Amino acid sequence: MKFIGIVGTNAKKSYNRMLLQFMQKHFSDQAEIEILELKNVPMFNESKDQSNSPIIQEFNQKIEDADGVIIATPEHNHSIPAALKSIIEWLSFNLHPFDGKAVMIVGASYSVQGSSRAQLHLRQILDAPGVNASVMPGSEFLLGKAQEAFDENGDLKDNRTIDFLDSCFAKFEKFSDIIAQMNIPEDITYEPGTFKVTAVGHNGDLPMEVTLSDDRIEKIDIDTSSETQGIADVAFKRIPQEIIDGQTLNVDVVSGASITSNGVIDGVAKAVKMAGANPDILKKRKKSAGPNKQNVVEYNTDVVVVGAGGAGLTAAARVIQDGSKAIVVEKFPAVGGNTVRAGGPMNAADPEWQNKFQEIPGERHTLKEIMEIDESTIDSDYLADFQALKKQIAEYLQENEDKKAYLFDSKLLHRIQTYLGGKRTDLNGNKIYGQYDLVKVLTDHALESVKWLEDIGVKFDKTQVTMPVGALWRRGHKPLGSQGFAFIEALKKFVESHGSEIITDTAVKQLIIEDGKVCGVIARSSDGKKVIVHAKAVILASGGFGANTKMLKQYNTYWSNIDDNIKTTNSPAITGDGIRLGVSAGAKLVGMGFSQMMPVSDPETGELFSGLQVPPQNFVMVNQKGKRFVNEYGSRDELTKAAIDNGSLFYLIADDKIKKTAYNTSQAQIDKQVEQGTLYRDDTLEGLAKQLGMDPEVFVDTINKYNSYVDNGEDPEFHKSAFDLKVKVAPFYATPRKAAVHHTMGGLKIDTKAHVINEKGEIIQGLYAAGEVAGGIHAGNRLGGNSLSDIFTFGRIAANNALEDM
Amino acid sequence: MKLVGIVGTNSTESTNRRLLQYMQQRYGKKVELKICEIVDIPVFDEPEDKTAPKAVQVLSEAIKNSDGVIFATPEYDHSVTAALKNTIEWLSYTTRPLINKPVMIIGASHGSLGTSRAQAHLRQILEAPELKALVMPNVEFLLGRSLQAFDDDGKLVYEDKVKELDKDFNEFISFVELTEKLTVNSKFFEENQKFSWDQVANGEDM
Repeated sequence: MKFIGIVGTNAKKSYNRMLLQFMQKHFSDQAEIEILELKNVPMFNESKDQSNSPIIQEFNQKIEDADGVIIATPEHNHSIPAALKSIIEWLSFNLHPFDGKAVMIVGASYSVQGSSRAQLHLRQILDAPGVNASVMPGSEFLLGKAQEAFDENGDLKDNRTIDFLDSCFAKFEKFSDIIAQMNIPEDITYEPGTFKVTAVGHNGDLPMEVTLSDDRIEKIDIDTSSETQGIADVAFKRIPQEIIDGQTLNVDVVSGASITSNGVIDGVAKAVKMAGANPDILKKRKKSAGPNKQNVVEYNTDVVVVGAGGAGLTAAARVIQDGSKAIVVEKFPAVGGNTVRAGGPMNAADPEWQNKFQEIPGERHTLKEIMEIDESTIDSDYLADFQALKKQIAEYLQENEDKKAYLFDSKLLHRIQTYLGGKRTDLNGNKIYGQYDLVKVLTDHALESVKWLEDIGVKFDKTQVTMPVGALWRRGHKPLGSQGFAFIEALKKFVESHGSEIITDTAVKQLIIEDGKVCGVIARSSDGKKVIVHAKAVILASGGFGANTKMLKQYNTYWSNIDDNIKTTNSPAITGDGIRLGVSAGAKLVGMGFSQMMPVSDPETGELFSGLQVPPQNFVMVNQKGKRFVNEYGSRDELTKAAIDNGSLFYLIADDKIKKTAYNTSQAQIDKQVEQGTLYRDDTLEGLAKQLGMDPEVFVDTINKYNSYVDNGEDPEFHKSAFDLKVKVAPFYATPRKAAVHHTMGGLKIDTKAHVINEKGEIIQGLYAAGEVAGGIHAGNRLGGNSLSDIFTFGRIAANNALEDM
Repeated sequence: MKLVGIVGTNSTESTNRRLLQYMQQRYGKKVELKICEIVDIPVFDEPEDKTAPKAVQVLSEAIKNSDGVIFATPEYDHSVTAALKNTIEWLSYTTRPLINKPVMIIGASHGSLGTSRAQAHLRQILEAPELKALVMPNVEFLLGRSLQAFDDDGKLVYEDKVKELDKDFNEFISFVELTEKLTVNSKFFEENQKFSWDQVANGEDM
């Protein structure tokens, strides 16, 4: 939940500010509280309107966007401070952000009274019609003798006071939820007909006729023949027009003609009442944005897809290829979801192609390590495949014993690496690994997905085979063009050019379930429209919940701690919506406790592609002391855990040559980042160390050792298993990095046909899931490059089976 | 008798101002009624030096030199205007001229309720220990539908309201005279004089 806290005074020292700051900190795991200050708010003056000033607009916007407002008021002269009254006046004059907003009142004072009288006044003020806030009743939090209440850290000292604040706040969270429900625009149905009511004219009542269909106000006729010409005419024309355009009774009265304006509104309200509907619903609706705005839009299609990321667009494209119809509903204004944020390469074992490349140092070692794995540690469902793989590897090693070899790969290696990579134990000792049948489908059909994408119009760079971070093997098919966007660009073009609609800015809120079968969705557009899509099948492709810290913390069983302010590499749209939808249809969840951190993220933004993001064989990671601390070719978990143990912040070191292997950047971007201080550059290693606050001697020694390991092809310290370039050509670079939430492995339980499975283990008719919204494949850890394989493979499978089941 | 009438808003258009002007007109022979504006009072922010800005000093002097004060308050959001509250905060924090000062509260509003709730708040505010004004009890002059209340000459057109105002105003004159007698040699009032914002700040509530 997101709350706004208003410090009810503009004074420099304020215990009410301390109280809000304490609440901000104390409740940070439950809610985000942003504190707003009154310092720069001008004195309200109705003859000098400053509603459009930045400070008033900021209050207005932030309160509008918040789930609730907490006002901490001091008591001045038995009432609230003028400064607080002033902002409330600004926000009840031309702007009305408090209208229907949940408000909690707290207060601190020097005296024992704890602002008791000011709080009562504030309650009455917030109740005024222009303000119209929904103030939480009861739970009066009065902090008396505030000067003695806080310790040196700004924390409340008295436990009973904290307990009471906890209970007040818990109640407020519930209260905000309930108030939010009251504010959801409701649907309305009328008894169709024409209703005779009256409008108010200057010379008495005027006859008015209101025609209603079952869900719309169709016509408003006012007989103005007895009325004198004048300003009221405008009201008789404009008000009915706005009522019909917006299907709302929330219209601005015409200045200078408020009585006649209100007369029209009241007349229509009366007609609505006569038609058996509640006019208050129309009064709560948004104002008309312009003509012809419909409030409910309905569609009929074969398959509706929730989410316009890679999985969703793939499913839609597959449906279209079959000659059927698809509609994609996307919460955000733009398509692409997390896929546009992907690095680009997707994993698919394609030995024919990979064999054309030379092996690189370390790869043979990786294969030998697999050979040495004790078979008793392999779960029985994978054992046969593991043994078959060992045979393949043994043949390869034998064949190339004394010579430089080609790059090895096979579906089996991909499968076993996905399995091994995903095998984890959580903090509670629960073991997890990828569900065999799903992993088999993924690894068997990944290459088909590459070929299918080529048919759709994606072009791949066949000249290089790459290994994305945390992928364990070089089997990445990298599209030409701009990273993950290359996929989306082609898919979007395909979907749209074949007549399918992608409805953006529209969040699916509910599944339509009839007789146990899912047959459509109900969504809400950002401008308040209700969008209903009837379909024979629903494919959930809305991603995981990486951008929903609360949900992450709720389910987490893997990381010892997830910070409240943890950054994410994900799109902010990825908040677990599809998981909630699935659960509403009875879906079973699997592996929800496991999430993946991207160890090499921008410490400020969580972004992946800032600074110099190079292939892992060129990673040189040093901690804040200038020492290496991990096998840079290790899994994401190893990197993340090592980073957390080394103080979270670390650096990727590069020289001029390594710089050239960086993804998605240009010299201009690099220069800009150096200038902005988000990337460090120096002509000497010593100079770079100084910039980073490291001991230059330690840092130079670290780099020299690393270079010698590259020469020897072996790293005795951390056992980095693949090398490419040394760090030796000036200028040198350091990119600051930190771990950020990257992928959530858990999700809806699916079968190999992408059916969503319920708690009883049965298929939920009509419901399919593909991509990160589904769980069970990647288990405890997803290999880099495997999510793209997943979305394009299961996106196709979900569509194929939705069509087949029809 | 010298009275001060405070226009409880910073708006250029105000029926409360008109009401005070009407009183000035009507009772000008009986008393000297000086109308004070609050539009130039800066935003109060508890400055450490506790110095009253010029505009506050001017108002404070006028109050000090008067025998009684009439507050004409609009009603914004069920309470007094921020501008008026702001003025009162300055007075209570710096010069405190309202201690023991007889006060009459009146108000005008466009709607029919005539500032009833703002007046109730103002009464509580003026009785706070930092102010200790002597608000006249039992009298509540509420002027509703104030936009239609004055003619072109500024005269109040509602006859019943004129009568009520005459009666209330006369009572206030008596109240001012009465309190004049009370305040001489009264220990109770001396105690009040000692009371200050500091005392509130130190947690000694009264």
